[in-house]
Amino acid sequence: MSSRKERNQAARVVREQLAREKRRKRTLWTSVGAVVVLVIAGLIGWSVYSSQKSDTFTAPPGANDAGTGVVLGTGPVTIDLYEDYLCPVCKEFQQTSGETINQLVSSGKAKVVFHPVAYLNRFSTTEYSTRSSAASGCAAKGGKFKEFTDALFAQQPPEGSAGLSNDQLIDIGAGVGLNKDDFGSCVKDGTYTAWTEHVTEDASKDGVTGTPTLKVNGTAVSDRSPAGITAAVEAAGK
Amino acid sequence: MGVTAARTPAGRWPVVRPRLGLAARLGLAAVWLFAGGAKVGDLAASGRAVNAYQVMPYEVATAIGAALPFVELALGLLLLAGLATRLSAGISAALLVVFIAGIASAWARGLAIDCGCFGSGGQLAAGQAPSYLPEILRDLGFLALAGFLLIWPRSPYSVDGWLAGDPPVEEDDDE
Repeated sequence: MSSRKERNQAARVVREQLAREKRRKRTLWTSVGAVVVLVIAGLIGWSVYSSQKSDTFTAPPGANDAGTGVVLGTGPVTIDLYEDYLCPVCKEFQQTSGETINQLVSSGKAKVVFHPVAYLNRFSTTEYSTRSSAASGCAAKGGKFKEFTDALFAQQPPEGSAGLSNDQLIDIGAGVGLNKDDFGSCVKDGTYTAWTEHVTEDASKDGVTGTPTLKVNGTAVSDRSPAGITAAVEAAGK
Repeated sequence: MGVTAARTPAGRWPVVRPRLGLAARLGLAAVWLFAGGAKVGDLAASGRAVNAYQVMPYEVATAIGAALPFVELALGLLLLAGLATRLSAGISAALLVVFIAGIASAWARGLAIDCGCFGSGGQLAAGQAPSYLPEILRDLGFLALAGFLLIWPRSPYSVDGWLAGDPPVEEDDDE
């Protein structure tokens, strides 16, 4: 009797061992599968991003040598402005300090390098940041970058909206004196979309993480008030 | 009465635990699906959000920023299906620890950035205060969900349970 009991017990131990082994294998294979899924997901993200990036760009006339912004004026001190046409704080900044910067440029104290970065594409449903920045390249081609920029900030659409349509951008361009046919086809063809990407990526590389960012001779200036800008330019010009 | 009051919660634990497990699993799945979904539409911006932490070179930050939304979505789907739950919970916990460390270090270094956890991200406009503490507390809450699943990965309506052929409430401590 006791030997049968022992046999039964031994069989149960073997069954349990087999079950444990089976469970271990199942866990191993589901884990391997899950890791493969995660790695593939990461590679998909990386390759999607790489394929979205364009390698070549054409900078518009009036851009700096690096092709990262449009130059206004010829003064000895360089003011770098990084702005997104959709950014409400940029609009405020233009309203409060735009005139001061204009004066610094027209009096020959400073030149401005305006970087129309597309940081806020997620805040419009139509990638307005990229479209408006590329359109500003078209405006630079037509020699009206400053006028077009001022008009875009004056008619800034709200964040979260569809932004202005290409037709509206073209009308604004025509309103500041651009040739409607040339400018219109440039906007519609997205001639400067790759340039916008280059401007945006270069700004990120330079540590510009938000808009507006103001630099005077390469140093970030946190006081963006008229007095702050004037003081920074005076100090840099000495 | 004191004895029954003390015994009841312990007696109900086997019934409550699978439900809590299911809630934790679906909750954490939702977190990852929302976090990944918010970022997947603009991978360049996701890279900028990572770069804003200033802890790695720009090229590395953009590669991680591009891969992260897809990894988050995949983690969310694995948890939603309940496949390799313990491993997914472990990876979730590891990611959350990295995020919390990143936010804490941004805080300690005095950076003024948005964590970029659910889209947005990058430097804040002047006058906008960063909300590091709520972000860290929120991530700690998510970490608690992941921790629960690490300890008790088995929950009802999961592929893991189906593969094991278990009734959903079975004790399973050696997965």
